[in-house]
Amino acid sequence: MNTASKLTLAALALVVAGATTAQAQGVNGSITATASVQAPITVSGTRGLDFGNVFPGISKTIAVGDPGAGLFSVTGQASTQITYAFTLPGNLTFGLNNLPISPWTGYVNTTNSTSGGSTFPPSAVAANATLSGSGALFFFVGATVSPPNNLPAGSYTGTVTLTVSY
Amino acid sequence: MRFRPLSLALVLLGPASLAAQGKPITVQGVRSLTFGAVLPGVPRVISRTDPVNSGQYDITGANNNQVQLSFTLPNVMNGPAGATMPIVFGGNDAGYSQSQAIGSQVAFDPKQSFLATLNKNGRGSVFVGATARPTPTQRAGSYTATLTLTVAYFP
Repeated sequence: MNTASKLTLAALALVVAGATTAQAQGVNGSITATASVQAPITVSGTRGLDFGNVFPGISKTIAVGDPGAGLFSVTGQASTQITYAFTLPGNLTFGLNNLPISPWTGYVNTTNSTSGGSTFPPSAVAANATLSGSGALFFFVGATVSPPNNLPAGSYTGTVTLTVSY
Repeated sequence: MRFRPLSLALVLLGPASLAAQGKPITVQGVRSLTFGAVLPGVPRVISRTDPVNSGQYDITGANNNQVQLSFTLPNVMNGPAGATMPIVFGGNDAGYSQSQAIGSQVAFDPKQSFLATLNKNGRGSVFVGATARPTPTQRAGSYTATLTLTVAYFP
């Protein structure tokens, strides 16, 4: 092998070595994952709906602005829309005795007041409202009970449930 | 001595011809992985096929070139006052699309390397989804994390 051939093979060897020892080459790209965690919603039954004394055969109504109106307090993410729905009893009960309760009335406000808000019909149908700038909302609930003439005396109770979600 | 120019020419042509075989490879993050509003205690899942909220990277390189995809993934997202929120990647949360169409992906595990082939135009896209798992007492606020895709090729 002459000098020229030796040099050429050496050069080819370098080329091949370069190809076979090439390392993986990489490039990077990044994205951001983002999330906005909302303040948790809390619902408190602040005050029970209280009809006081009721007499057989005489209906009694508690309006949303009355002292006996029920009150729920909600807190959550400021200025955020929420969905709410009520679970309402058809009767207050005392043992096996029923005291019909209907219709229901409601008032929702961003302050603990029955002024400056709006009325709504409490029901199981979901509706929307918006938390205040401080993340508060108040639901006042009233209703009418219609005791039958033969209703046994006793303490009648029922449960009103408010469900709230974002 | 008169043969040295020939030898040097061969040496220099080797790397030059390798580089000439393809275009420079690039990867670009083109869309963030967005969970939006998340409620404390309620996991939020973003699918890799979500056209609005899934993350997306676009890759360019040599036509029909095979590349190896690997992620550097976070375990948590960072929020206010040092708060963190777990972020979880499932075995089906990444997808590769040679056509760059979100509706035409081959799923892969983002925690494992994946071999993909760029299309005839030297392009491809990677989509990624994940699950955010806020705790019931998760502090409110904005959370972020970085997902890095490394695209390796063998020249």
